[in-house]
Amino acid sequence: MFSPTESVYICHARAKGRLAAVLLGVVLLFFTALVVTLPAWAAGEDRIAVIYPDIGEPYRGIFEKIIDGIEDQAGTPVAKYPVQYDTDIGALKSSLYRQNTKVVIALGRQGMKTAAALDRNIWFVVGGVLTVPESEARMQPVISLSPDPALLFARLKVLMPTAKRVFVVYDPGSNGWLMKLAKEAARAQGLELVAHEAHDLRSAVRLYQEIFSVADNRRDALWLPQDSITVDERSILPLVLQASWNQGIAVFSSNSSHVRRGVLFSLYPDNMALGKSLAGLAQGILTSGDYGWRGMMPLRDVQSTINLRTAKHLGLNPGRQQGFDTTFPEQ
Amino acid sequence: MNRRTIARLTAAALAVAWSAGAHAAPQSEEEELALAYGDKSFISIASGTRQPIARAPSVATVVTTEDIAAIGAADLDEVLETVPGMHVARTASGYNPIYVMRGIYTQYNPQMLMLVNGIPITSVFVGDRSRVWGGMPVENIARIEVIRGPGSALYGADAFSGVINIITKTAADLDGTKIGLRAGSFNSRDAWVLHGGEWSGFDVAAYLRVGATDGQRRTISRDAATALGTSLAPGPVNLGRDAIDGRIDLARDQWRLRAGYQQRDNVGTAAGAAQALDPKGSNSSKRFSTDLTYQDANFGRDLDVTAQTSYFYLNDRSNLVLYPPGTNFGTGAFTDGVIGNPYKWEHHLRFNLSALYSGLQNHKLHFGTGVQENHLYRIQETKNYTQPVGAPIPLGALVDVTDSAPFLRPHSRNVSHAYVQDEWAFAQDWYLTAGVRRDLYSDFGGTTNPRLALVWETAYNLTSKLLYGRAFRPPSFVELYNINNPVGLGNPNLKPESIESMELAFAWQPASTVQTSLNLFRYQMKDILRFVQNPDNSFTAQNAGRQHGQGIEVELAWEARTNLRLSGNYAQQRSIDETTNQDAGNAPQHHIYARADWRFMPSWTLNTQLNYIAGRKREPTDTRPAIADYRTVDLTLRNQKRSGDWDFAFTVRNLFNADAREPSPAPGLIPNDLPLAPREYRFELSHQL
Repeated sequence: MFSPTESVYICHARAKGRLAAVLLGVVLLFFTALVVTLPAWAAGEDRIAVIYPDIGEPYRGIFEKIIDGIEDQAGTPVAKYPVQYDTDIGALKSSLYRQNTKVVIALGRQGMKTAAALDRNIWFVVGGVLTVPESEARMQPVISLSPDPALLFARLKVLMPTAKRVFVVYDPGSNGWLMKLAKEAARAQGLELVAHEAHDLRSAVRLYQEIFSVADNRRDALWLPQDSITVDERSILPLVLQASWNQGIAVFSSNSSHVRRGVLFSLYPDNMALGKSLAGLAQGILTSGDYGWRGMMPLRDVQSTINLRTAKHLGLNPGRQQGFDTTFPEQ
Repeated sequence: MNRRTIARLTAAALAVAWSAGAHAAPQSEEEELALAYGDKSFISIASGTRQPIARAPSVATVVTTEDIAAIGAADLDEVLETVPGMHVARTASGYNPIYVMRGIYTQYNPQMLMLVNGIPITSVFVGDRSRVWGGMPVENIARIEVIRGPGSALYGADAFSGVINIITKTAADLDGTKIGLRAGSFNSRDAWVLHGGEWSGFDVAAYLRVGATDGQRRTISRDAATALGTSLAPGPVNLGRDAIDGRIDLARDQWRLRAGYQQRDNVGTAAGAAQALDPKGSNSSKRFSTDLTYQDANFGRDLDVTAQTSYFYLNDRSNLVLYPPGTNFGTGAFTDGVIGNPYKWEHHLRFNLSALYSGLQNHKLHFGTGVQENHLYRIQETKNYTQPVGAPIPLGALVDVTDSAPFLRPHSRNVSHAYVQDEWAFAQDWYLTAGVRRDLYSDFGGTTNPRLALVWETAYNLTSKLLYGRAFRPPSFVELYNINNPVGLGNPNLKPESIESMELAFAWQPASTVQTSLNLFRYQMKDILRFVQNPDNSFTAQNAGRQHGQGIEVELAWEARTNLRLSGNYAQQRSIDETTNQDAGNAPQHHIYARADWRFMPSWTLNTQLNYIAGRKREPTDTRPAIADYRTVDLTLRNQKRSGDWDFAFTVRNLFNADAREPSPAPGLIPNDLPLAPREYRFELSHQL
């Protein structure tokens, strides 16, 4: 039989035992979480990091979405480094080495510049840029933000099955690489791509004049690439829109905000899917230990937007089954 | 291509040739991203939920969650004041919002239909949103659609002067968990949490907010009790309240289940239920709503089907000191004041089925049907007075009159409806939308309301619309069934009041960075429901008024620079009461709203807005001079996600401390009107987890 003192003691002992069990449980839980969440770190595995521009909204949100896609594909959180033009490269390198980083996914122009300044023994892939000079692009894989012409042309053929010819006015400095792909893509869709080079606004205007003087609204369409010279927003675009409206010529664009202005349709990046693609490239490099493929590739992870007002004007009937992600006008 | 276009293209080339050098410069990060992602407004659309395809052509305004954040709004009414043609006035009792649209001003404001996710939140009691409103927070609002003018052909009852549809956030609008805090003047404080994610195959969005305020305390100098010698004026308005708001949204495949809860406690009486200051009185309300919606955009070939059942519960409780202690109308002294404590409970059950069929060449058919029951199922009232025709007489103590002589007895109403609408593309760029809706009410019978809209896509940057619509506002239960209140007796033989409207609207984009619109409207109201004086000096609800009006609304938005946006609107209206041929009163004849959004540094934005209210004449029966014009200026400084995932905002409302006032009811028992808040500061901090 226990005395009251003993029973108090036993109660304390039981309480201490419960406390110890709880503490043990917490410690076990902590280490389990550590092992589950940081397997690469614990095992000293090669890791992926993301370098992206430290800019404000709404573009920051875009990069965050791409990073969500990267982490989704990687199956684990990745180290993230927002960078600016004056980021300390030395400190960044030290941190990447500590993390055992072997591949960097560089997002945006600033992300790419920073990654290029790192040591050659850290591989990197690039996303979130429109185009890079060929000399830089051949060093590593770059997924451009320019939608794949093949996807644009396929969408055009669905909306306008009678289309036979696509005109485009482009600056070879920024879109030369894309036109090579576009010619092949057009052929695959049974389209003829009539591509005109323009190096300045004056020559671009003259070329648009020529296009509208020969264009036939039953078989011709006009493509506006992402090009600040040949598709000047303030001067060229309104007049192209007016001429195309008056003549009933379908115009599609690689710049999605043009759809709100009256362009028939456009494709824009699917950020989550783009992140997955970039992570897939990075994982491939980790596995093979080599870049494999290098150079620019167009964006295939896209969403679509259409201007229903323009579609009606052109006599096109886009069914819901064609699945546009965004429609204009808004109401 | 015509010669004119060639000439313009050539001129453009010459005009812009000088700037070619500038284009050769390397693009900034943002310029490059803008080429791929579009401008900021497109990003906000593309990253949000998919936009609905156009419904009926109408004159509408869409306010996005980005707009709401930019102007530093904490309450729905601060957002709605920015909508062209709309002004938010206040009632004396509770400072409840009066959404004045195009000159249509009434105390209970049943002429404005408010929807949450397309479902009405109208109380059947007086036709407003609730007698104890207590505000609506904005953190969980994805966007607000405001349709100006009659919309009964689609929306049915109360879509009379306009429709406000509040779309709450879904999982697609929320990414993870966000917490927020706001504190500011008048001891106002709010805390909220928002969550969006996936759970067991469901898209889940959840929202919880807890808040409280003491409210602004500007002075009422004289009130209804001043002449009786017992007034508490001069004294402050009483606008304190405690608030809880919750909402959950579960979606899977074609199914969506939503539920919302709003609770308001210790809600102040503002300027008093009887226009006599009442610091002791207090109100509370509970609102619960839920709906189950099935929508299949591909139910059949070219067929989009939506089925929805919804439930709405509303309970208001008021404990009021209508006149201060010591009041004596010559019928005996009220030592504790004139006390009235009305409570009421109502619930609404709805079922709707609608379909959109686009399988016919050049036609888009929209049709639907539905039934609903509105049941004011319980009344409770205690008071210390009785009121035959004339002044209140003391009962000596608080008496429960629920069974003997309540202000209203429980009633219910059943409504069924059917509508059809066709959008017919009868020529290139020409569309005719014709629709009609029939509503059958168990109390007053049926009403049929058509609409016609002729739309001409005049040019690539110009759309012209000619619109006709008719709408109705059914009599409320107070107007039909009120008893034992000689200043407001019900009349079961009422018919709905109606409005017919014609509008001419233009939307023009003169330049890539400029958007404008112009609307001209004219309307005619008939059978207006009013309480009309009887020979024995009591008042009974009657269809007894007509009003007509006309006006214009102009909107302008200009992307002046990549980091500066200027926008604004001007609304002008003139409304005439046909009984007296005088201005219908209280509504502003001129309303100017101007706004500037300046991103002066990455992640830093400064928003300034000016609101100018002018030309408010009195009601014909009110002999007071016109209400003074006012202009208020607000500032909001916001920093988004600069360090970690923290957002910060600082707002000053009524920066110059303007003496802004809203009209008190005729004949002016509160002679100096209802003062709005003085200068007010707010700090807001939110964190994305």
